Amino acid sequence: MEQVLWFGWFRVDIITEYGVLFWRGLQMTVLVTLICILQGTTLGLAIGMARLAHSRHAPIKQLCQFALRWPATVYVSFFRGTPLFVQILLIHFAFLPLFINPSDGLLLSGETARNLKQNYGAFLSGVLALTLNAGAYISEIFRAGIQSIDRGQVEASRSLGLSFSRTMFHVVLPQAFRRMLPPLGNNAISLLKDSSLISAIGLAELAYAARTVAGAYSRYWEPYLTISLMYWILTLGLANMVKKLEARYGRGDSR
Amino acid sequence: MKISQKITIAIGLFAAALGGVQAQNKELVVGSSATYRPFAYENPNKEIVGYDIDIIKAVAQKSGLQIKIVNTPWTGIFAALNNGDVDLVISGVTINDKRKQSYDFSMPYFEARQLIAVQKDSSAKTLKDLAGKKIGVVTGSTGDDTASREFGKTNPDIRRFESTPVVISELVNSGIDAAIGDNGVIAFRAQEHKQLKTVNDPAFPKEFFGIVVKQGNKALLDKINSGMAAIKADGSYAQIYKKWFQADAPNLPAQ
Repeated sequence: MEQVLWFGWFRVDIITEYGVLFWRGLQMTVLVTLICILQGTTLGLAIGMARLAHSRHAPIKQLCQFALRWPATVYVSFFRGTPLFVQILLIHFAFLPLFINPSDGLLLSGETARNLKQNYGAFLSGVLALTLNAGAYISEIFRAGIQSIDRGQVEASRSLGLSFSRTMFHVVLPQAFRRMLPPLGNNAISLLKDSSLISAIGLAELAYAARTVAGAYSRYWEPYLTISLMYWILTLGLANMVKKLEARYGRGDSR
Repeated sequence: MKISQKITIAIGLFAAALGGVQAQNKELVVGSSATYRPFAYENPNKEIVGYDIDIIKAVAQKSGLQIKIVNTPWTGIFAALNNGDVDLVISGVTINDKRKQSYDFSMPYFEARQLIAVQKDSSAKTLKDLAGKKIGVVTGSTGDDTASREFGKTNPDIRRFESTPVVISELVNSGIDAAIGDNGVIAFRAQEHKQLKTVNDPAFPKEFFGIVVKQGNKALLDKINSGMAAIKADGSYAQIYKKWFQADAPNLPAQ
């Protein structure tokens, strides 16, 4: 193939030659990030609430402690205390094959398992690992956000006769959400960047495309600069979205 | 003395000191990716051992070179050579025209061919039989080249990974249908797993491994080649070959 140089050193031809891989990689990165932001936030909300669960009365008190707070604390501690890269490898090569395996999967086996593994194996493991990891961090954001709302708000709401869940969803969370937006935005941005780690298990996302080109040509500037630019544009877009959300939901305080 | 003069002298002294260190320390850094058993791998004592390592040690001894082996990941091994992090590379590198454009190779020290690994129940006999199947390779390896040439560089059925053990794990877990790689390594890995077998496509061409140096580093290349000729002449090459492959060393071309 003819060499095409930009500025005398940037071999753009090796990027266009693998253009499809970069394009599909970009779509995959965006897809994984969006799924993980949605699932991670939902999971984070649930875990955050579980960590705050408490009651004064006998059976429910113990239930909250042993069935909710403790497992949630262990979960958060594990996923924040171990590297995401290790979690991805653990889930892909050890945990998931236990459940989805052509010979003796606990959940799926036989031809269905083979097909699922071959077509979506890396995707499933990657999304699972990233979601579980993000859930742990986001749960801390939720916990901090909820705890930052003055107790008086809950007391006032409860004495007005609102149930606990109504208090949570109509009084506490809307206020907490405003304070949580900036850290949630940060988290979404790191999620986007961390998705590059999934390339290690062969998911064809952006970093995988760059690694393929680097491997084929032993040239590193072109592929890695290209994906850096793509990641940068994506994170700028995300940051912008968070800013818009803040402008919209942050108004309440500055009345 | 003016401050600018002081700085100049200080820099001069520093440079002289650095130069002195370099002049004394002529130890050459050898890059090798230790995920390539039996060519290069880490033994339980964290030492890098293998056929490649024995070869380079014997060559270095014959030609009076001081060497230090450094475990260098395959995906960055040519960058490490370009940057001067390593002075030479011995890591099961196949000599091919594309690589010859950017690097210089010693005379061959191993004859290799590509080999396919599949699950025992597979009916594949040749590379062509793998059309439409998911194929695992190491990024930028000869196996990657072979699959890319046959099925297209951006074909999503080609799954690229960082190292051979990862490719084999993926094959064992049915994430891919087949793995393609250098015969020595693939054969070794396949006999480790009962459920795998190897498939030899007679159409695969003969290949040779060579030691790699930066393009134009003729002084070092000459030393390596004379050392290599010496170990081939005195029988130590045949001994090393027998130690690792339990077979007689083939006659290799001089270039």
